[in-house]
Amino acid sequence: MSAKNASIDCEACRESLESYIGGDLEAARAREVAEHLAVCEACAASYESTRRVVAGLTDLGGSFVPRRRFEVPQGRASHVGSGVGRGWRVAAAAGVAAALLTATAASVPAVAEQLPLPVGRQLAELREDRAELEAETERLAEEVERLEIELREIEGERMPQVNTAEPALPPEVNDAVQGLVVRFVRAQYERDASALRAMATERLRAEIDRRPGDYLKEGATVTFAQTTDVSLAQDGTYLVFVRLSDAEFHDSQYQENFTVIKAGDAYLVDSVEMDA
Amino acid sequence: MYATAYGVLRSGWDASDAVQDALAEAYAKIGGLRDPRAFPAWLSRILVNKCNTILRKRRRLVVTAAPPESEAFTYVGREDGLDLMAAVHGLDADHREVVALRYFRDLTLAEIANTLGCPVGTVKSRLNRALGKLGAALGTDDRAEVAQ
Repeated sequence: MSAKNASIDCEACRESLESYIGGDLEAARAREVAEHLAVCEACAASYESTRRVVAGLTDLGGSFVPRRRFEVPQGRASHVGSGVGRGWRVAAAAGVAAALLTATAASVPAVAEQLPLPVGRQLAELREDRAELEAETERLAEEVERLEIELREIEGERMPQVNTAEPALPPEVNDAVQGLVVRFVRAQYERDASALRAMATERLRAEIDRRPGDYLKEGATVTFAQTTDVSLAQDGTYLVFVRLSDAEFHDSQYQENFTVIKAGDAYLVDSVEMDA
Repeated sequence: MYATAYGVLRSGWDASDAVQDALAEAYAKIGGLRDPRAFPAWLSRILVNKCNTILRKRRRLVVTAAPPESEAFTYVGREDGLDLMAAVHGLDADHREVVALRYFRDLTLAEIANTLGCPVGTVKSRLNRALGKLGAALGTDDRAEVAQ
């Protein structure tokens, strides 16, 4: 049997390959394609190529996994976990817990209607889950309430400050570190590498020289949406997180996490990490 | 969702933004979804809209330096997978879109047509051409040498 004897031609066969591989063809058409592939070397090669590409694409779709979004340098994790930045994360967690609570509560009657026996056990479990979520939501709400937010003006920029540091640092330290960070961000958007270097430790200067594109930002304008107060880590570094919105994507925000160290009388930026 | 946005937008940062914006909108509008079975296509349409918004914004920008890649998601797939993604990034925008929706969002041709507002035949032909180009880019396709 040759390709000429098959019931479909090469063009029709190749147009059907994608659906054939996906198992989406009707049985009769799939049989025609299979018959053609059995006798046509060129289409069989196309089939093999397409099959490999499709298999690769299918794998690719599930091959990107979220990375842990918040990473801190070694040795600072315990401090950060116990205070800095917690406000924003607590608020988000409280929102999720509240949403789960609503969904659970709303779905109880629906479950009772739809599930076969033992419905009682399912309901009991749901009620238990709900009680746990209520307790968790209450605890988180209390924590959110304890957070203090105040409006600050730093280097001429007005922005809300979320107070998360425990204990709070002296105002002059807070002002000096936040001022440095605001000037640093401005220099990033002014694409002023020499200004950045002047505000950086030797380690960060080397980083900026090595990968300037990571530190110089696109877009001429930046809006300071929010800042934390400054917190002191156990290793003596200062931590402050700033939320920003820029001209490139003015309807979304991102965060820069700064570590700052004191060198003599001056404060210098030691690291900057972008965060969601 | 991330792979879809990354395939279409060719930027990890933009893809992260698109996914975040799409999920936020989906969360706000989920009450309007009548048929739960339509959820994957419904969510994909929101995601595609977010991607297109970002693409439109990007047209107005003059990029002078590549930004650092997003670290929001990490790749855990096969070694040659990123070559394939690079080949996807080399496709035209409308080809990237159908490939991403078909294989990363697992939509049917009809769902893709509905999502993009175009005929099924158009989706099919874009997909076939895209697969041909991907095969050629990866050196697995000899159809260019085969006389039609």
